[in-house]
Amino acid sequence: MKRAGLILISGIILAVAAYFGFYFALTANSRSLASSHEPELQWLKNEFQITDGEFSRIAEMHASYRAGCAQRCRLIDEKSEELKRLLASNSSVTPEIEKALAETARLRAECQEKMLRHFYEVSRTMPPEQGRRYLAWVQERTILSDSHSQMHH
Amino acid sequence: MKPRDQSEPDRLLDSALREWELKDPLPPRFREQVWRRIERAEAQAPAGLWPQFVNWITQALAQPSVAFSYVTLLVLAGLLAGFLQGRVEKTHTLEQLSARYVQVLDPYQTHH
Repeated sequence: MKRAGLILISGIILAVAAYFGFYFALTANSRSLASSHEPELQWLKNEFQITDGEFSRIAEMHASYRAGCAQRCRLIDEKSEELKRLLASNSSVTPEIEKALAETARLRAECQEKMLRHFYEVSRTMPPEQGRRYLAWVQERTILSDSHSQMHH
Repeated sequence: MKPRDQSEPDRLLDSALREWELKDPLPPRFREQVWRRIERAEAQAPAGLWPQFVNWITQALAQPSVAFSYVTLLVLAGLLAGFLQGRVEKTHTLEQLSARYVQVLDPYQTHH
């Protein structure tokens, strides 16, 4: 009876050890990425097999783009607020509303253009095959995506 | 009244038992030993499903081939569960990171 109990418990302990061993071994890389500084960039490096040299250039571009993007978003927010005020105080489309709409549209188009330029720059920094793959992937999820209706900045 | 064919053997048995004489004495504490045997037999009798199951497991695991198979099966099940759960977790984390990359770059990206 004692021997049987020992075998039963040993089997369960070994099974649990096998489960956690395999689980932690398999998720080690993704956990390391998730806990790193700027995990989205580390993911990019890992996904598109970017070398350290290429990665440092891409990281610089990324930081520069984000700074510019935040500035453009502030301008768009300001224009949106102005448009809201104009819409609240007018009952028809005035020249001021037309101007604010055109300015908001221009800023949004500029924002998308800068984003697209950034994608091209990043893709050119990668090895050619990875660059093509990156460009197709990122365009599919941004410019070509149907979800361009709401800002989150 | 009993039929004749049944009462006839009884009469024969009765007369045989009356004529039977015990020449050897009974062993000492014969009656006590008989009761002990009865108690032991009752204790060994199946009491329920659980003791039967425990008994079956004990006997099965006493065989090295069964014990080895049991441990191997559990280890394989653990490895498979770890692999499946790890793969799901890894895919989920990588999807989250890729979505985060897109959201960081695209101000019009909705939250997924």
